Amino acid sequence: MHSKRKVIDGTLKGMTIGAALTTASALFIVFYFVFTTGFSLLSFDLLVTDYNSVQYNAVLETPNQTMEFEKPEVIDSPFSYKYGIALEDSRNKDGESIISIAYVDDNSPLKTLLDKESGEPIEATKNNVITRISYEASPTSLTREGAASMAERLDSDTTIREIIFIEPGGGIRGSIIATLYLIGLTLVMALPLGIFSAIYLNEFAKDTRLTRTIRSFIDTLTGIPSIVYGLMAVSVFIPITARMNVADGLSIYAGAMTMAVILLPILIRTTEESLAAVPNEYREASLALGANDVQTTFKVVLPNALAGLLTATFLSIGRIIGESAALIFVMGTAVKDSVDPANGATTLAVHIWTLMSTEPANVELASTIAVIILTIVLILNTTVKLLAKKFDKIGNR
Amino acid sequence: MKKVFLALTFVLALSLYGCSEPETGFDTEADINPYTRDTSSGTRDGFMSGIGFSDAATDNSLLGENVTVSAGNDEVLQSVNTDRFGIGYISLYSVNDDIKPVKFEGVDPEIENVVDESYALTRPFNYITRLEDDYANDTEKQIAEAFVAFMLSSEGADIINDNGAVAVSNNGYWDDISADHPVCDQDNSGETINFGGSNSVEGIAKDLATAFSSRCGDVQTVNNHTGSSDGFKRTQGDEKDGTNMAHVGFASRPFKEDEKVNGEAYYGTLAQDAIVIVVNNENPLDDIDADTLKKLYQGEYSTWADILD
Amino acid sequence: MGRHSGLSLNKPSNTDTNHQRFQKLINTVVKRLVFLSALLSASFIIIVVVFVALAGIEPFISDNEGLGSVSFFGFITRTIWLDGPTFSSNMYGAGYLIINTLYIAFLTLALSLPLGVLTALFIAKIASRKTATVLRSIVELLAAIPSIVYGLVGAGLILPIIYNVALSFGIQTNGGNSTLAAVIVLTFMSIPTLTTVSEVAIRNVNPSLEEASLALGASKTQTHFSVLLPAAKSGIFSAAILAIGRALGEATAISLVAGNALSGPTFSLFNRTATLTTAMLQGMKETTGLDYDIRFSLGIVLIVVILITNFALNTLKKKVGNVHAQ
Repeated sequence: MHSKRKVIDGTLKGMTIGAALTTASALFIVFYFVFTTGFSLLSFDLLVTDYNSVQYNAVLETPNQTMEFEKPEVIDSPFSYKYGIALEDSRNKDGESIISIAYVDDNSPLKTLLDKESGEPIEATKNNVITRISYEASPTSLTREGAASMAERLDSDTTIREIIFIEPGGGIRGSIIATLYLIGLTLVMALPLGIFSAIYLNEFAKDTRLTRTIRSFIDTLTGIPSIVYGLMAVSVFIPITARMNVADGLSIYAGAMTMAVILLPILIRTTEESLAAVPNEYREASLALGANDVQTTFKVVLPNALAGLLTATFLSIGRIIGESAALIFVMGTAVKDSVDPANGATTLAVHIWTLMSTEPANVELASTIAVIILTIVLILNTTVKLLAKKFDKIGNR
Repeated sequence: MKKVFLALTFVLALSLYGCSEPETGFDTEADINPYTRDTSSGTRDGFMSGIGFSDAATDNSLLGENVTVSAGNDEVLQSVNTDRFGIGYISLYSVNDDIKPVKFEGVDPEIENVVDESYALTRPFNYITRLEDDYANDTEKQIAEAFVAFMLSSEGADIINDNGAVAVSNNGYWDDISADHPVCDQDNSGETINFGGSNSVEGIAKDLATAFSSRCGDVQTVNNHTGSSDGFKRTQGDEKDGTNMAHVGFASRPFKEDEKVNGEAYYGTLAQDAIVIVVNNENPLDDIDADTLKKLYQGEYSTWADILD
Repeated sequence: MGRHSGLSLNKPSNTDTNHQRFQKLINTVVKRLVFLSALLSASFIIIVVVFVALAGIEPFISDNEGLGSVSFFGFITRTIWLDGPTFSSNMYGAGYLIINTLYIAFLTLALSLPLGVLTALFIAKIASRKTATVLRSIVELLAAIPSIVYGLVGAGLILPIIYNVALSFGIQTNGGNSTLAAVIVLTFMSIPTLTTVSEVAIRNVNPSLEEASLALGASKTQTHFSVLLPAAKSGIFSAAILAIGRALGEATAISLVAGNALSGPTFSLFNRTATLTTAMLQGMKETTGLDYDIRFSLGIVLIVVILITNFALNTLKKKVGNVHAQ
C-alpha cells in the first residue's frame, strides 16, 4: 500500500516539478533563441540606417589610369593589378550573390572616386559591394559574371565610365520612428479618454443600471481578438480619417485610434484601481474645505493616483510595441524610410511580420528587432513592478 | 527527483534525435510533391501555357490533390529546397545552388538558349503604366515617364541582364537620355513612385528602382509585388486609386485583351525570361517534357518511380 | 465675496460671485465630459460588432459585382477556401477553418492546461518563497512577450525541429509547418494566463480543507491532487476559458507556423493547417472586391465562434459546479 502510494505520489510530484521546469525553460528558450540569432546584426548603425538599399554611382577622379599594383601575399581573391583591389564573390543577407571588395591598396584610384551626381568624394573600402562596372568600349561587367571576371575586365579595358556601389540598407530607423509616432499619438488619444472614463466610473457614477451596463460593455472589449479590431479600424477609422482629410487609406493616425480602443479597457481598469486606492479621507477633507467634487478629483485625488497612472501608461506602451495583427490591417506592411503619420508604416512588431512573411524569411533581422522589443518590454515590466511596490507602500500607510 | 531526471533525459534525447541529420539517398517510392504558384501569377500562366495545360492557369480545381500553392518564386524555391521530393517551376533569374534546374525537352535552361529561342518555356516580362492624365501631379507623371526611359536604356538593360533575364531594349546611355527628362535634375526625395505586379519581375523591379532613385533626384520607391494580374489592376484597373495603387506595373506574361484596352502607348516588353523546372538537389531527374509535366500536375503520377525510368 | 457653505451646492444662485458661477460651470462641463468619455468607451464594443457585421454581411447579400452572393450556409460548411478561379468565383468556404480553429484551440488547452495548473500548484504550494517569487516573475515576463515574438521563435526554432523529427520518422512535412507547430506556439502563449489565474484559484481554497486532509493522513501530494485541485476547479475552469479565448483569436503567431492550407479540415498533426485568423491575414494583396470583404465575414464567424465557445464553457462550468466553495 505504502510503496504504491509512494510511486503515485512521486510521479505526480515529478510531473508537477516537470511542468514548472517546462514553463521556466520556455522563457529561457525564447530569450536564448532571439538573442543568439539576433545579436550579430545588432548595432547602432542598424537603428539609424534606411531599410532600402541605396545606389552610389562613382566615377574615377582621373580616368585612364596607368598605375601598376602588386598583389599582397595574403590575398588570394581575384585581384586587379591596375587598380589595386581584390574582389570576392559572396552573399548578402537575403542570400543573393554579390561581389564585395576584399582589399583596397592605400594608393588605389578607388580611394579617390567622385559621386557622379553630387561631385562629393567617395572612398571605396573593404566590404563595399560593387554591383556593376560600366565601360565605354565593352559591355558592362555584371555581378552575375563573378568576381574573377570583374577583376580581369578591370585590367583589360581602361575606359571605365562608372563604378556602381550598393549600400545594403536593412536598417530599422523607419520602423523605430513609426513606433514612436504610434506611441505618442495613441497616448494622446487614449490617456484622456481612459482617465476621464475611469474618473466618471469611480468618482461620480452612482450604482445604477446604466453604470453597470457601461462597465460590462467596457469589460467585454478585452475578449475581442486584436485582429477583429484591425477589421473594425479598416471599416471605421480609415473612412473617418479620410472624411476628416487627415489621411487617405492606411495611416498612423488610424493606427493610433485603433490602439487607443484596444488599450481602453486596461487603461480604465488600472486607473480605476489607482483612484480607488486613494483614501476617502482625502476626498472628505477636500470637500470639507469647500472645494467642489470636480476640484477635489482633479486637484486632490488624481495627483495621488499618479503612480497608478504611470503604471497604466507603461503597460499601454508595452502593449502598443507588441501589437501586430490589428496594425497589419490599418497601417500596412510596407517598410518606410521616411515616415509620415498620414501614411502607413511598419512598427517594430509589424516589421518582424513583414520580414518573416517574405521568402526567404529574414530570421536574423527579425530576431534583432525582437531583441530590441524584448529588452524594452523587460525594462517596462521591471519599472511597472517597482512602481507597484511604491504604490503599495503609499496605499498601506 | 529521479523521475524528473528521467523525464528530462527523455525530452533531451527526443530533441537530439530530432536535430540529427536525415539519411541521404533518394527514395523513388516517395510521393511526388508538386509546387505551383497561385492563380494571379504570370509565371504560372506561362508555365501552364507552355506545357499545354492553359486551363489550369486560373483554376485550382484542375490540379491534383497533392499540389501545393505557393505565393512567390522564392517560396517555391524554398519549398523544393527543403522538400526532397518536391518539384516546382521558377523564373530563371531566381535559380541558385539551393535547387537543381532540369532540362526541358532536352534543352538546358540557359540564357543563350533563351536568346536563340531553343529553350521553349519562355515568357516576356512586360510593364504597364498609368494613363497620362491619371497622375497626382505633373512631377509624378514626368518621373514615371523617366523611369520607363531608364528601364529601356543601357543601364536598365545591364540591370535586367544581371538579374538573369534577357533585356530586349537598349536605347543608349541614361546620361544621354536623361537630357529629355529634366525632372531628374531636381530633388525628388519628397516624391514616391510605386511599383507592383509580378513577383517574378520583383527582383528586377527593385534593382531598377534603386538604380533609378540614385539617377533621378533620390525619388522614394516602394515595391509591392503580389502577382502579374495586379500589374494592370493597380495602374489602370480596379485598384488604380486604392491604397495599393502603382505607377508602373509589371507582368510576367503577355497582357490579356482587357488589359491592353487603353492602347499601346502605355505598355511594352522589357525582357524575355525562362521558366525553369526545379527539383531538390538530391533528385536524379535530369530532363522532363511537357506531357509528363501536365500529367504530374494533374495528379496522374503519384510516386517518383513513375517518372524516373 | 459670497458666503461659503460647507457643501457647495452646484446650482448658481444670486449670491454667487462671478468666480463661483464660473467654477460651477466648469464643474458641470467637466462632469458632462467624463460621463461622455465613459459613454464613448462603452460604445466601442457596439461599434466593433456593428461595423464588422455590416461589412461581413455584404458578401452574402450583395451581388459582388456580378459574381453572385456567397451562400451563407455554403460559407460555414464548405471545406475548400475558394472553389474555382480567383476573382471569378464566389464559392468561398470557411467550414474547414472553423473546425481547424476549434481543433487547434482544444488541443492547445489539452497541452497547456496540465502544464499551467501544475506550474501554478508548484508556485503556490511546493516551491519555497524565493523560488515562487522567481517563478512568478518568469510567468509575468512570459505573459508580457508579444505574440509576434512567439511566432518568430516558432518559425525559427520549432519548425526546423518538427521538420527533422518528422523526417526521421519518415513523415514529410512542409518545412515543418503543421498543426503541431501551431499548437506548440499557442501552448507557450497560453501557459502564463493559465498559471496566473490557476495560482490565484489554488490560493483561494479554504486552508482548512487542506489541513483536514492532511490530518486524515493523506500525503501532501495526495492532498494537492485529490482535494486542492478539485476545490479550485471553478477558478481553473475560468482560466481555461480565458486561455481558449486567446487561442481562438491569435493571428500573427500562428500564421507564421501553420502553413496555409487551402482546404481541410486538418486533423493530422503533421499537415499544414489554417485557421480563421490565418485566413484573414492571407492574401492581403486585395483591397477591394469580394476577396477582401470576405475577411470581414471571417471576422463575424470568429466572433460568433468565440461567443458560442465561451457560452458553452461557462454553462459547463456552472454544471460542474464548485463543491468546496471558499
